[in-house]
Amino acid sequence: MNVLQTDGLGRRYRTNWALRDCTLSIPEGHLVALVGPNGAGKSTLLNLVVGLTSPTAGGVTVLGGQPAGSRAALDGIAFVAQDMPLYRHYSVADMVHQTRNLNLSFDTAYARRRITELGIDGKRKAGKLSGGQQAQLALTLALARHPRLLVLDEPTARLDPLARHDFMATVMTAMADDGVSALLSSHMLAELERVADYLVLISHGRVRVDDTVDNLLDRHRLVAAPTTAPVPDGDWQIIEARTTPSQTHLLVRLASSQASLPPGCESRPVGIEELTLAYLRETPASRAPTLIGATQ
Amino acid sequence: MTPVAVPTMPVRPVSWTRLSWVSWRRYRATLAAIAAVLAVIAFYLVLNGERMRSTYATYLACTPVHSASCQFAWENFRNGYSQPGLPGVILLFLPGIIGGFVGAPILARELETGTFRYAWTQGAGRMRWAIAAIAPGVVGVAVIMAGFGALVTWHNKPLLDSGITPRLHPTVFPVTGLAVAGWALVGFALGVLAGLLWRRVLPALATALAAWFGLALLTAQIRMHYLPPLTTTSLELSGKNFGIDQWWTKSGVRVSDAAINAVLQSIGFQQPGGSGKITVNPGEANPSVDPVQYLIQHGYTQVTSYQPDSRYWTFQWIELGWLTALALALLAAAFWFLRRRPA
Repeated sequence: MNVLQTDGLGRRYRTNWALRDCTLSIPEGHLVALVGPNGAGKSTLLNLVVGLTSPTAGGVTVLGGQPAGSRAALDGIAFVAQDMPLYRHYSVADMVHQTRNLNLSFDTAYARRRITELGIDGKRKAGKLSGGQQAQLALTLALARHPRLLVLDEPTARLDPLARHDFMATVMTAMADDGVSALLSSHMLAELERVADYLVLISHGRVRVDDTVDNLLDRHRLVAAPTTAPVPDGDWQIIEARTTPSQTHLLVRLASSQASLPPGCESRPVGIEELTLAYLRETPASRAPTLIGATQ
Repeated sequence: MTPVAVPTMPVRPVSWTRLSWVSWRRYRATLAAIAAVLAVIAFYLVLNGERMRSTYATYLACTPVHSASCQFAWENFRNGYSQPGLPGVILLFLPGIIGGFVGAPILARELETGTFRYAWTQGAGRMRWAIAAIAPGVVGVAVIMAGFGALVTWHNKPLLDSGITPRLHPTVFPVTGLAVAGWALVGFALGVLAGLLWRRVLPALATALAAWFGLALLTAQIRMHYLPPLTTTSLELSGKNFGIDQWWTKSGVRVSDAAINAVLQSIGFQQPGGSGKITVNPGEANPSVDPVQYLIQHGYTQVTSYQPDSRYWTFQWIELGWLTALALALLAAAFWFLRRRPA
């Protein structure tokens, strides 16, 4: 089952395409990292997935074919928006009770237990909690719904390192215990390297990378070549090239893991952060449309 | 990669019972604020109503009716209570203020604080959430203001009985009976829609109040034409009826004010232009002749157009009817935008 499938999905705001020609199919069970520069269309994609926005072009289905925003989709997806919106003047207990009453199923016992574990007083106003506590409360409200897909928009952007660690630990625990799939957008590449096993990279409103982390690492190499850059052939392509007086450093994408590189080249594996940065550095002009979806 | 068509899973909706708690929690503070404001105003109305009743009772009990002391009791009552004053102005605006105050934050605050991203992505869904948030406001605002209108009616009873302020008067009609509920509903609906379009509470509230006030002014102009006015040639119009216009006729033909003026000037009276009402210019001679009697004796007839007091409830239903239709249309527009609007 695909937790998310989009087909030529696009969203235009007046004359600006915030997201365009987005075609993705993400199987269940992954922690999907959605990365991209600011304004790349990450939030737009997430808003489309949770049904807050409707597409201008194309379609989006979730949880194995449910239209985004449909009752079944809303029931199975929990969304934690950027900046963790909570009713500031509601008590923590009221937020729990309200979320229970806004959903078909809600694990009140789990929510209470988590809140106790976090050392949050249920009588406190949600707006008086620390940033980390607000994030944990928002996450707890989402997880207590036992969703099949958890969608997180920049969840850790405003958190200190400890709170960030705790937050991601909660997500990972829920994924292990509940089998929930997760889709999260983030700027924290190092953090994603640790937790994500699926990467979607959007830049300039288009999908650049869409694959499991294992496949991506398998198909990309850092190559040191003699000064003149070798000409790419069908087996491999250059994503990024940097030239020093003695050598050319390339990040290349292989058509298959057995693809051969030209003689005289030394290659070594690449890290996910390095790989992501290389794709982010690409200018729109240098884009090769064939780069998308190595496994497709 | 081929999209597989999967039939939509039948998922039952979140029950209204559950959503009613969400509504209650949402409205609790608003209800307390409104209760506090209305309690203050109701306290004033009860106090003033009782005082007015006692003053009016003093006048009614006074005998003989034409004595100076009874005249004094009448003046005392009329001068003390016939002018609505500041409380009257507050009452006039109250349906709009209450309606707007309740309606404007419903969608605007969610959009302003970003909590719509939480509220509209829960299992209940956006539209069901919106119905749960808006419907109690519609009913609550209408019922509370209708009750309040009944209190105003009670307060005004001596003024109506004594013929000082008819029920159809523009300062009374829209704050009593059924119309007061309609006006509150329109204020509420304007607030909801403005909140959705502005996405911020304060500008939405200001817009809603301005639109509401404009509509109230306009309605005051057209209300007395819901049904064609009646006319009478009687010189004494009962104080309960609402007089609209007065003019003179001769042989069934309307005579212009200028012509009447000319007739009166010929016998030494002057009439200030404009209305058909006649005033005696104090400096002029011939005070022994009553100008009205003079005109009647010379074949002129004074005609008064008015709306009878008996049409009060008919007019109330008419006003409630179109105000409710307008409020529902505004709310329908809000729901339409809400469904379509990208967040």
